[in-house]
Amino acid sequence: MKVAELRKQLERVRDEAVRRKLEFAEARFATARSSGLVLQDGRADRMGAGQRAGMGVRVVVGGAWGFASTESVSFDEWLACLDLAVEMAKVSGRRIAEPVALAESPAVVDDVKASYQIDPTEVSLERKLAAVKGYEEASACRAGERLANVMTGYSDGRQVEMVCNTRGTLVSMESVRTMVWHTITVQDGTLRQRGRELRGRQSGFELVEETLAQEFSVKAAERAVSLLSAPPAPAGKFPAVFHPSITGLLVHEALGHNMEADLVLTGQSILEGKLGTKVAAECINIVDDATVPSSWGSYPYDSEGVPGQKRVLVEKGVLKGFLHSLETAARMGVQPNGSARADGYMHWPIVRMSNTMIQPGEATLEELMQDIDLGILLRGGQWGYVHCEKGQYTCHAGEGVMIRNGRLAEQVRDVSISGMTLETLADSLGVSRDFELEMPGNCGKNGQSMPVNGGGPYVKVKEIVVGGQA
Amino acid sequence: MSDVDLAGLQRIAGIACEAAMRAGADFADAAAEQGQARSISVERNAIKSSDARRWGGVSVRAFSRGATGWSSTSGLSEEGARGAGQQAAELAQAAEPDPDFVDLVSPAPYPEVAGLYDESIAQITGAMLADWVTQNIDSARAVAEDGVVSGGASASHRRWALVNNLGVQVTHRGSSASTSASVVIRRNGDVGSFYEWDAARRLADLAPENLGAKAAEEALKQLKSRSMESGTFPVVFGPLASGAFAGGLCAAASAEEVQRNRSFLIGKEGERVASEHVTLVDDPLIPGGLGSGVCDGDGFPHRRLTVVEAGVLKTYLHSHYTAKKAGVENTGHSTRGGIAPTNIVPALGPKTAAEIIAEVKDGLYVVLGRPSPDTASGQVSALVDAGFRIEKGRLTWPLKNTMVAGHGLELLANIDAVSSDYRAEPGMILPTIRVQGVRVAGGG
Repeated sequence: MKVAELRKQLERVRDEAVRRKLEFAEARFATARSSGLVLQDGRADRMGAGQRAGMGVRVVVGGAWGFASTESVSFDEWLACLDLAVEMAKVSGRRIAEPVALAESPAVVDDVKASYQIDPTEVSLERKLAAVKGYEEASACRAGERLANVMTGYSDGRQVEMVCNTRGTLVSMESVRTMVWHTITVQDGTLRQRGRELRGRQSGFELVEETLAQEFSVKAAERAVSLLSAPPAPAGKFPAVFHPSITGLLVHEALGHNMEADLVLTGQSILEGKLGTKVAAECINIVDDATVPSSWGSYPYDSEGVPGQKRVLVEKGVLKGFLHSLETAARMGVQPNGSARADGYMHWPIVRMSNTMIQPGEATLEELMQDIDLGILLRGGQWGYVHCEKGQYTCHAGEGVMIRNGRLAEQVRDVSISGMTLETLADSLGVSRDFELEMPGNCGKNGQSMPVNGGGPYVKVKEIVVGGQA
Repeated sequence: MSDVDLAGLQRIAGIACEAAMRAGADFADAAAEQGQARSISVERNAIKSSDARRWGGVSVRAFSRGATGWSSTSGLSEEGARGAGQQAAELAQAAEPDPDFVDLVSPAPYPEVAGLYDESIAQITGAMLADWVTQNIDSARAVAEDGVVSGGASASHRRWALVNNLGVQVTHRGSSASTSASVVIRRNGDVGSFYEWDAARRLADLAPENLGAKAAEEALKQLKSRSMESGTFPVVFGPLASGAFAGGLCAAASAEEVQRNRSFLIGKEGERVASEHVTLVDDPLIPGGLGSGVCDGDGFPHRRLTVVEAGVLKTYLHSHYTAKKAGVENTGHSTRGGIAPTNIVPALGPKTAAEIIAEVKDGLYVVLGRPSPDTASGQVSALVDAGFRIEKGRLTWPLKNTMVAGHGLELLANIDAVSSDYRAEPGMILPTIRVQGVRVAGGG
């Protein structure tokens, strides 16, 4: 079925909800197409593709939410889905705290097309394969005899999301994302270390054309090889400097989730009741910006049809605001700021981050390190998670470099850190002018996975717990 | 999307498989699935939303000169199935040959596994789920009236069919239901929190009520947490944390990871990888087990397998592909894209958890945490999500900002006790274990 027909069909579901005088209804159609290939140990023997399409509708009946979704594109099924959503809202009505309230937001009618230079669907598999092979060969060459395993992946995807609600909004958004990733495992005897690099943007195949092996896969290989001769990280508390990749991971995991207003309202955020108060050192400014051109986490409208925008969350250490959906904005009495996103049609919009970052300052990396007698520089942010309600987080860094007498000294491997979010923010002693927003990935929350990005400058903190072994 | 029965799913999968073969594939298999779920989410002591979802789709793997092409599509139309089959074959032909690929699984009899599907779970209504979550909210608040409860409940059932061009035809019906309660208690600037859950494939195996009360009781114990000093200590991992060791060991025992040279268990088959207290059996035939089933993702019949016996790694976990590549017997652990264990059942020891803790003069107890070794390096470096200091054989005060670390093989070798008592979940035995000489990093 053509997009224009689906759009009309979505309007008919909305019109039916209006006819039934539902308090609120929002029908969303989403379709996604993806393709990818994996090159492993010199062979691209796995290629794949997928496509999904369906519709989800949520309603407010008797002050309570109900939601239903289907993978059918037939109008009759969509109407049945509306009935089911109403039935589920009546279930919710058995125990609600207070009736659902939604903030006002201007009705928007728009149709946004994706922006890219080279349509990935027009690029031959051979061309994609050649690019990926180039990455792998350069990396394997750098690793030499220490190469244990190497994997390189390429994927592209096109998504269309349509949002149609009983307030008159009808927005259609197309996005195209392209990603390449490289993971190399090297070994020396029984010691194995990994290096990873990933590039992802809202763009077409030009991302691959602009990504040079030397700055991508070779970098991963060099890091992995150098870690083979590095000792394990020490255990204990140390002054630390975070590389922008660690800053990006921490600003997302440790802080960003606490700024999601749904978690604040449900008592799961350590920032509850702290609006307008100092939550970080003066040098810390944090924004979440859905408008960064071509960034992995950007979007023109959220899944409620509210324009994506730049949100100032922390200014000079003071908490200025949260990320909001229509509902959380109404509960807190503020304007919605376009932060409600849904992972396809099977889920309904929840509060999410977009591109979250600590803003750069004036210092150089050398200046940040100069008064550290014994500390650690952490880089290569790999993964992390947070217990929002306690403000306790952990993060695994690919590598560390000891700081001795104000200078970078020996490299260390297998570095994990843990900390308390508010203590880390309050103990931040400075931020660098160097800045990166290069942590594209998918963030999981309530079973939904959404594209986000994170970054920032080098950040110096008074001390952090390192879970090392030396 | 209307309901499609098992025969209908088998027919759709057959259409997709045949389309792949007609498009030139050497081998092909296809799976078709349809399912539905109802769920309720709880936020701040009230129902946030009630959801109903239906899904269905087809996924096809085609093989040409050993190369794999895969394609998936939502919906269960014949046209969609044919398109996916053809696309998978085209992708396989575009991919590079894999000389290690031999063939697909051949037809074989499947075991009987009881309790995979329970009609009473398929009949669970939204109102029943609402009753469960309401009881959990109330039970939590009865323990701590200032407790903030979130969580939810869900019930789902699915039908699935797998067909391959060598004649494998298998169908399956499955059901599952779960409830969870997370309780946060804030008192005087301090925070205590805990999460409890239950899940089952049969309604009779589910105890959906009073999870709120249990979570609230544990959350209260987490108040006034503090950091401990760094050092080397014996660490006792409780039932909710101990499974990470077995899970991490089995992940590294994946033959795919071993053959691709990125596992710390390379060369360890037949070798000692843990202390003699560690015996792990993978049992996919446990009636009603959460990881149970009649076959793996390739369609290979499931069977019971001893993975670790008295500390010795008896076998890697194989799919049809890795077994053929290694020239060994298939263990049936394909997930149709990866390799994973099913139900891991550890052998139990002679002492109770209380006795194991009582023997520790100076250490810590991990209630929640994920101390899984990194598959490639074997390194463990994990946050204690919830835990206690052990002093003179007793749990004394709760921990915060504390990490445990070590090499997986070293930690596994240092396991000196597995408890006789355990937490039981369908298909799961979760004992308490003790590990000597664990490096602990604390902020104290």
